[in-house]
This record gives sequence, structure tokens and C-alpha cells, in this order.
Amino acid sequence: MTARHWWLLLLALALAVMAGLAGGSVPLSPVEVWRALGGAGDAHAISIVQGLRLPRVALALVVGAGLAASGSALQATLRNPLAEPYLLGVSGGAAVGAVLSVVLGLSSPGLLPLAAFGGATLAVLLVLLVARAAGAQADPRVLLMAGVVVGAFCNAAIMVALATAPENTVRGALWWMMGSVGDAQWHGVRWIALYVALGIALLVWWGRDLDVLALGEDAAASLGLDVERATRRIYLAASLLAAATVAGAGLIGFVGLMVPAIARALGARTTRQTVVAASIAGAALVVAADLVARTVLRPAELPLGAVTALIGVPFFLWRLRSAR
Amino acid sequence: MSAQRQIIARSSSLAVGLALAVAALGACATAEPTAGRILTIDDFGDTVRLASGAPATRIVSLNPVTTELLFALGAGDRLVGRTHWDLFPEAARAVHDVGDGMGPNVEAVLGRTPDLVVLYASESNRVAVAQLRAAGIATLTLRTDHVADLARIAPILGAAVGDSVRGVLVADTVNAALAAVRALPRASSPRQVLWHVWDAPLMTIGAGSYLSELLDIAGAANVFGDLAAPSPQVSMEEVARRDPYAILASPKSAATIRAHPGWQAVRAVREGRVLEVDTMLVGRPGVRMGEAARHLRRLILSDAPR
Amino acid sequence: MIRAEELVLRYPGAAEPAVRGITFDAPAGRITAIVGPNGSGKSTIVRGLLGRMVPERGRLVLDGADVAVLARRDVAARVAVVPQREEPAFPMEVRDFIALGRYPHGGAFAGRTAADRAAVARAVALADVGPFLGRRTDALSGGEWQRVRIARALAQGGRALVLDEPTTFLDIAHEMAVFELLDTLAREGMGVLLVSHQLNLVARFADRMVLLHHGVIAAAGTPAEVMRGDVLERVYEWPLVVARDPAVGAPVLVPLRGRGTR
Repeated sequence: MTARHWWLLLLALALAVMAGLAGGSVPLSPVEVWRALGGAGDAHAISIVQGLRLPRVALALVVGAGLAASGSALQATLRNPLAEPYLLGVSGGAAVGAVLSVVLGLSSPGLLPLAAFGGATLAVLLVLLVARAAGAQADPRVLLMAGVVVGAFCNAAIMVALATAPENTVRGALWWMMGSVGDAQWHGVRWIALYVALGIALLVWWGRDLDVLALGEDAAASLGLDVERATRRIYLAASLLAAATVAGAGLIGFVGLMVPAIARALGARTTRQTVVAASIAGAALVVAADLVARTVLRPAELPLGAVTALIGVPFFLWRLRSAR
Repeated sequence: MSAQRQIIARSSSLAVGLALAVAALGACATAEPTAGRILTIDDFGDTVRLASGAPATRIVSLNPVTTELLFALGAGDRLVGRTHWDLFPEAARAVHDVGDGMGPNVEAVLGRTPDLVVLYASESNRVAVAQLRAAGIATLTLRTDHVADLARIAPILGAAVGDSVRGVLVADTVNAALAAVRALPRASSPRQVLWHVWDAPLMTIGAGSYLSELLDIAGAANVFGDLAAPSPQVSMEEVARRDPYAILASPKSAATIRAHPGWQAVRAVREGRVLEVDTMLVGRPGVRMGEAARHLRRLILSDAPR
Repeated sequence: MIRAEELVLRYPGAAEPAVRGITFDAPAGRITAIVGPNGSGKSTIVRGLLGRMVPERGRLVLDGADVAVLARRDVAARVAVVPQREEPAFPMEVRDFIALGRYPHGGAFAGRTAADRAAVARAVALADVGPFLGRRTDALSGGEWQRVRIARALAQGGRALVLDEPTTFLDIAHEMAVFELLDTLAREGMGVLLVSHQLNLVARFADRMVLLHHGVIAAAGTPAEVMRGDVLERVYEWPLVVARDPAVGAPVLVPLRGRGTR
């Protein structure tokens, strides 16, 4: 990737962040935003920018980066450009954890993300166990099938939970599943940001292993990589990274699938380049999507997951056409 | 006939006989109440007849409003079933709980052997109404969405329990109480209030809800009164932009709002005007609407000059 | 270079081992070919060298060291295995593809050291893939792709090269080009171990042949010693004759028609 491409990506991110801070029910100019960030100017603007928009934009940025990086790593590990973190149990498990906590009335702002993360972790481990029971822990096809199986099981559990839940909790559970950064608070965002940064750093560190894995099992083995161990650790790291984003913002689909392809289309060659470029692009995309979600049907707020899905469908069609 | 032919003939007759029996049963099962005098045409468009023409004696009420109303009509002793949420008046607690009022458990209702079931006119109750009528039970489905509905349905329920006069009386009493509150002095630009309903997603009351009307009667205004839906979803930023004078919420939600950093962007929260509403009192357009309006007026206009 | 000593390899859960105690030697500077019918254990030996199967008994020795004892990276630095098929999920430039051959030598952030660059340059020259360096891996013909894969294997820097069915899908020109390359590499001192079912071509280029049958060695030696009609007929269970090709003087296997039992 040329230096120009990198600058373009960073510029896109900066623009998205600025638009996210300036746009909304109360449109502000960039100057007003700047002053509000510094604590000067209209008190109203300060409370909106610092209290409402900054945490949202920060969470959207972190979630977008994490999902895109996770998707890049998983696509290389599973050697499949259609792989994404949600296929491997993360979304199903997180949803079970979150829905159960809402339905049981244990959905305080601190507990809900923990429940979602716990559910996702259990599902990810379950996928590994199912793959091991099938005798092929590192075979991408077996991992994907195990992910489908675990996902189906999680969907069944969610249906049972929702069917037997008190009526006034169902809405909250469904809203969580549709994804939103509206509940962002600095305290929680800090933790998620730390976690996502660690996760991305780990995947960048393992970049060479990912390049070799993407060649194929036999080729990777012939180059000296312990294929089983490497697949397992990268799968765990990428999945838990995605789980952290789901814990913070619910289910935001398509980002882990689309953005790595965008990064590659921009010229990212090695997996390392793809992970970093995708992180920046993913952050910009989710920040922009959140802006759309809260302005297009004012005063209502669309679920963020719906906006990313709406972008994802034409994207898919474009990919299918260009692949022919 | 050969043995084979005999078997075919026998099994065919058996099959035809079974089919006829099933058809006969089916015909019995679709018996709707067609006897008895017509009470009214209810809000689902169904013709309501009370069997044997006499007033209802075993009533299941699947709506808190109609439960209250039946007690106000002096027919509380004829109630044999109520929903889980019907807790007013105190005597209602003694009535058997049959579960939800929306999408009710029809078996549980039938188990109370009612001669009249009163339901809330919501689409989720269509199936239950059909099933009850197919079982031969009289159903009365009433809309209770607006302030005016109570005065409309009180005489109907009164007639169902054989005391239309009392029904009219109850309607007049409630209307008078509301008129009294309306008549109190009000400011030319009433205070705008946000009615907090739900957190994730953030939902409020729109013009389509009776709570919005109640606010108007109390001398205040709904800050989202321009939205037609009964409970629209809104964004926090929009709330901050519209800058309501105060926020009405249940005691539990009020505590959450005061503690949540995101809500600090709304001036009413910063200046300590998160008002706790008695949700049992205001929660439904029932017989205590006058009292509910007074309660709201006191809450919102407490420091305003009378 | 590569030596098998009483090697026994069994697939998990199988009743019988796939390789039942074989001993052979693939020395440096020679082309050694393992041949045999499907299911005779040829590819299983490759899996053993890849570290994907652990010997039940016996051992595989690489340049004097037991493969089971060495770390995978050390094995990869000494012997390069070119697997039968390879299809990268994401196409990349040929030069990046070949550079991945240096993986066994670097850490997580190994840059292109002088040694790395030299090894890659040497590999590119030996495999003669210089003209393709800027092309993408999904834009190469079958023969070009094979040479590029061999180049990556050479970049690993080892002195032994193992190839599993390297010319199965290639046409004559490319087949010959690959074998000529293997011949050149052997002359340069590399130990080349080749698994193939193309007996005639192997017979022309290999210095030693090992014929496997149901996991044991049916015959071993020079092509002339191994390519004998009675032995081959028994192993391949098909009537055939072994003639001598007058043009090049190498033994040629000719299967006969019509009288087979299968």
C-alpha cells in the first residue's frame, strides 16, 4: 500500500470523527465542536459534545476497528474471504448472555456487557470443543461448521428466553441485539478501547504467522508453522476481540466481513497491512454509520446494526459481480 | 366379493364414517352464541349477545380499566378472573389471576367458566376472541386508549351487568372530575414535559397516547406532542434540543436517569427536575383519571403561582 | 540427507498402519523417487515429513537429526516440502509469495535482512522465475505456478527438497522443465526426494527408486533394477511389459489392454 493510501484512510477517519461530533439533532459547526471539546463556549453545546457525542464516537471508532481487525485475521486463518467473527459463535453466544441478563432483570450498565462477553467466550470455546470432537481442530471447514452448529443452538436458546420472558423485557433484549452505541459511557468505553487495542496489537504481532496460514495447511506446515496451535490461538484472539465489541455495542454485522475486502481493494498486501488498514477503515465506517443512524429518521434513532446491514447488502452484490 | 374387495369396501366405509363424524364435531365446535338479546356491537365489530338475555354473572375482565370500572359499577363480586396487572381497587387482588391481558391464556380463561369475557381491543387479542366465541362464550372487546373512552364504555358495561343507569352515573362523575381540573388556571404557554417510558431504546409518549391528553388537562404540554404515535422512539440528542422543563418518570427510572452521565446533557436533569410519577395512578385511563390529572398538575406546576 | 529407519506410520483409528516399517535413504546430490500405486503409503511419508503425523515406530532422520525431536522451524530450515496442491485464499504478488519462504528464519518482525534477500535472489535464479516477480499468483499458468512454488521452497535455504506429485497436472513441456530443474538442483548438491506415479518420467531422471506396495518396500535400487515387469505387474495388479526406449535408453513401462482383473 502506498503512503498516499494510508494518508487517505487517516483522512477519512478524521473526517468521519469530525462529522460525528458536529452532526446530529443539534447541528454544530467544526469551530463550535472544537471549542466545546476544550470546554469553552455555549454550555449547551459542551454538554452535547462532551456528554453525548464524544463517548458515542469513541465507542463507534473502537468497535469498528476491532471488528474489522478481527475479520481480517479470521479470513486469513480460515482461508475464506467470506469468513467473519459472527460466523463462529461470537454473536450467538453474546446474544444469549445479553438476552438472559435482560430477561432476568440483571441488565445494569455494568452487568449487561459482562454477560454478553461471558456468553461469547463460552460459545467460542464450545466451537473449539466441537471441532476437536470432530477430530479436526485446525480445519477451517470444520471450524465453520461447528460455528454454524453452535450458532443454531444459541438461536434456539434465545427464542426460548424471549418466549418465556416478561413482556416488558423483550423490547430491551431485541434493541440490544440490533446494535447501538447510544449507551456509551466513558468508563465502559475506556475498558473496551484498551481491550481492542491489545487485541489488534496481538494480531499485528502475529502477522507473519497469518500470512503463512493463509497459504494453506500443508504449505504452512512445510514452512515450519505449527498449524493447529497457530489456528487455535489466532481464532481465540480474533473471536475474543470481536466479543469485546459485541459486549460494548451489541450486534453490528457486516463490518468484519466488508472492511477487510475494502482494505485489500485499497492495496493492502500482507495480513499485517490488511489488519491495520482495515482497523482504520472500519473505525471510519462505523462512526459514519452511527451518524446516519441518528440523523436520517429524526427524532427516532435507527439501530446501528440495521444501517451497517443496509450498507452491506449492496456491497455484497458488488463483490459478487466483480468476482465473476 | 373376494377377500381383497371386502377389505377395501370395509375400510372405505370406515373412512367415510370417520370423516362424517369429524365434520359433525367440527360443526358443533363452531357454535357461536346466536341466542339471547343483543347487548351492543363492540369495538372489534362483533355482535355481543348475552346468553339467556340476563345480565352477566361470571365475568372475566382482561383489562385493568374494565376491572376498575366493574368494581365502580358495584359488580365486583361478579368478577371471576382478572389480569396479572389489575391491582386496583384493593378488592381486585382477591379475584383470580388468569395471566396476561394481551394474548391471554384462553384455557385459563375458559377454566373460570365465564359467561362474559371483556377484552382490550388490540390486534394481539383477535385470536383469543375467535377462540372464545368458538367455544360459545360471549366476548366484549373495548378500546381504552383515550380519555374519552371511559365515558363511552361505562354505560355499555353498565348494561352488561344490568345497571345502565349506574354506568351513566360513573361516566358523569369521571367527566366532572376532569372538567374541574381543566377549569383551574393555566399559563398561556404551558410547561413542556418529557414523559419517560423506556430506556433502551429511549421511548416517550406521543400525541396518540391518553397520557398526552392527561398532561394537557393538567395544564402542561407534552414536549413530543408533535409526534402522532402513542409511544415513539426518540434520541437523547433530540430531548436535549427540545429542552423540556421537567421529566416525568417512574421512581425506579428516575433514579437511573439521575445517575446516568448521558442524561446530564439535558438541562432539566442538571437542574434537578426529574419528577417521580405514581405510575399506578396515571397508568391507565380508568375511573381515577380526575385524581391522576390533579396529581400531575401538583407535580409539574407546584412552584407556579396558582 | 533424508533417511527413514524402520518407519511405521498409522492414521488415527486405522486398523493397519499405512507405512509398515520401511527403510530408505535419499542422499544429497541425488534424485530419489518413491513410487507405487494409490494407497501404497507414498503421501503418508510426505505427511510424516511435514510433521503432521508422528511415527508410531522408527524414525525419520534429516541431515543426521531426528525429525520428531527437532522444532518445526528447524525442520523447515533444512528441508522444504512442496505439497501436491496449493491455492492461496488471497492472491498476492509472486515476489511476496517467494519471500514467505524465509519464514522459518525470522522472528515476528523479521525484516528483509541481507541473508534473506540473498536467499530469495538465489532461489529466483535457480527456478528461473525472474520474469514473473511482479505478477499475481492467480495469473500464472500451471507450469509457472509450480516453478514459483519450488522457488519458495528453495528460498527456505535447506539442502533437501521433497516434492509430492510435482507434475501431475502439467503438460509435456512443463513436466520436462520441472524435472530438468530438479536435475540441476541435484547436481548442485541438494537432496531431492520425489513422490510420483509417473513411472516413465521418473525412470529417466531419478538416480534411485523405491517402489512401495501396501506400506512396505517391494523393490529399491536404480531404475533399471526396479523397473522389472514381474515386480511391477505384481504391485500394480495389471498386465504390462517393460521395454527399453531406443531413443533415450531408459526403461519404459507399457500397460497392456484387455486382460486385466480390475
